[in-house]
Amino acid sequence: MTDETNVLEARDVTVRFNGQMVLRGFSMSLKAGRKAVLTGPSGCGKSTVLRCLLGFVTPESGTVLIDDTPLTAETVWNLRRRVAYVGQEPDLGGGVVREVLERPFHYRANASLRSNLQRAPEFLETFGLAPSLLDKEAGDLSGGEKQRVALVSALLLDRRIFLLDEITSALDPASKGAVAEYFRRRENVTVLFVAHDAERFSFADQVLSLRGPA
Amino acid sequence: MNHIVDIGAWELAAAYLLLTFPLAIILWYRIPMLGQTVISLVRMTVQLLLVGLYLQVIFQLNIVWLNAAWLLVMVAVADVSIVQSTSLRLRRIALPVSLALLAGTVVPLLLFVGLILQRSNLLDAQYAIPIGGMILGNCLRADIVGIRTFYEGIRAGEKPFLQSLADGALLHEATRPYIRKACQAALAPTVATMATIGLVSLPGMMTGVILGGASPVIAIKYQIAIMISIFSGTVITLALGFWLTSKTSFMAYGVLDRTIFRNAPKR
Repeated sequence: MTDETNVLEARDVTVRFNGQMVLRGFSMSLKAGRKAVLTGPSGCGKSTVLRCLLGFVTPESGTVLIDDTPLTAETVWNLRRRVAYVGQEPDLGGGVVREVLERPFHYRANASLRSNLQRAPEFLETFGLAPSLLDKEAGDLSGGEKQRVALVSALLLDRRIFLLDEITSALDPASKGAVAEYFRRRENVTVLFVAHDAERFSFADQVLSLRGPA
Repeated sequence: MNHIVDIGAWELAAAYLLLTFPLAIILWYRIPMLGQTVISLVRMTVQLLLVGLYLQVIFQLNIVWLNAAWLLVMVAVADVSIVQSTSLRLRRIALPVSLALLAGTVVPLLLFVGLILQRSNLLDAQYAIPIGGMILGNCLRADIVGIRTFYEGIRAGEKPFLQSLADGALLHEATRPYIRKACQAALAPTVATMATIGLVSLPGMMTGVILGGASPVIAIKYQIAIMISIFSGTVITLALGFWLTSKTSFMAYGVLDRTIFRNAPKR
């Protein structure tokens, strides 16, 4: 894979839900190590773009490529292993934070990465959370704590591509800054942020504006 | 041991007198289920009369293919009943559910009749139909709870389900927590029944064997064998039900196909 290879690409993607157009001919591409922010008004299809890139939404037309490989029913299972995704208002499920962070390592795809869990306290501290949080019930966390735990969970998987959907919406300015600073420094990872406050990610190489399908 | 005492037509009619009490209570408290109760009582009577007459013929003929056909009819009726009790579209899951029910009923039934009762005719009407019916009835109850809990669980908890796919889970890994929860809900009644059986109530099969004139010792042996068969059949049906229905209920990328729900718009 060269630096000039597109690691994330959408070509003329159109998505319709129940007959209603959500995305019309959307295209984008992002090369390795680059950062992009996807902005636009609520309901314009920002989250749908991420869901398309993960194969959660099947486009009516167009192609999605990850690492230059078209996303298909056959390739999706392998390609998802290269991507980390943090959704809006993450649902961490039951159990204490330690169990939440351990969960993805039960999957065969991540079994060999289990030793990464040792880095959990370090990542928590990076985003202003105390390591003692590991023993706290996930259901008792605040919205901002949940967002940061979900982010830590994604980072522990050691992926090279990040799809991050409004991951700082419930954070205070200092924590937002910590998240932005972390990704600014990670030169080797490719990130697509969905954000209302694009200025937070001023270091991004691209700003993609969505206006909706109309 | 004595043979069972037959109930005459007038004596059976007298049993209906007992209904005076529940119907009076329903009327007195104006419980809004009088019509439903009467319809159910009439249906029960007519269905059992017809089935009784039909089974009488089947038992007398005792032809293997006819017995097998009757078991298939029972499975088909159970299948429709399961699908109607869930919020899923009949056309989408009827076949996988019926295959799961068939396997969950036939495997323990054949082992019961062949291995435990040592009958050379595995589909002997006297054994295959009542035992098959008991296993099937329990599979039906478990499947209604299991299938509903599984699919409703994924629909309601779509976020963590999709997150697990995004985290690299294969479909069977992503569905595992939902299968676990559905199995717990579906198996809990059978497990609880096994734990208290004989203490809280005398179970159906044991009662039937005793009424048929056998000793209680023979009856408990039948009961133990049927409980094990029911539990095994239930687990087989559930596991196959999840596996087979998931073939038609998830899209190629692992996302739940919401068009399997009756209240979702068709594609």
